[in-house]
Amino acid sequence: MASKKYQYELTYVISGVVQQNQVDDIVRKVNHLVENNGGDVLEVDEWGNQRLAYEIDRKRSGYYVNMYFKAPGTLIERLERELQINDDVLRYLTLRMDAKMKRHYKRRKEREAREEAEEEEGADEEASDADE
Amino acid sequence: MANEDIDYEHIEYVDYKDTEFLEQFINNQGKILPRRVTDVPARVQRQVTTAIKRARHLALLPYVSESIR
Repeated sequence: MASKKYQYELTYVISGVVQQNQVDDIVRKVNHLVENNGGDVLEVDEWGNQRLAYEIDRKRSGYYVNMYFKAPGTLIERLERELQINDDVLRYLTLRMDAKMKRHYKRRKEREAREEAEEEEGADEEASDADE
Repeated sequence: MANEDIDYEHIEYVDYKDTEFLEQFINNQGKILPRRVTDVPARVQRQVTTAIKRARHLALLPYVSESIR
């Protein structure tokens, strides 16, 4: 049963007219589907409502969700079927991450961590400036 | 047209999420520019092409730009 897990990147677009609580439901459902089928969610990044570059089903905006997870390959079929059936999901894209993508992802993570550290440093300096 | 500030030889992966970067490689109609115009290494051009197509699918980039529709 212990099948090989791969790392995936999934981006999906939820219709912009859907209420926020329903958006949360969809996101939760997707995350559960991954976790209940032998997958591990690594990161979920909600970009929020964005203007679409072109109209899809008369919708001009969409709620973008970008997530990373590890899962056996059999999960993808079920996950994509779930997204395909859901009329509120306008688009989705699943990519299996190869070595290059993983390195790219790692580099981005490191850059973000560094920026965050710098920001904190900046905040500390401001605090000490205020003391003077 | 290749941007002198960017070292294209050292680009390992072109991300479909980086629309700002990809916009350099489409014309005002939304078409992908040919390599004779972009002047980037073939490896990078191939990656840019797939990245733009992925971005188009997710409506991050237009198939046909708004101005000429």
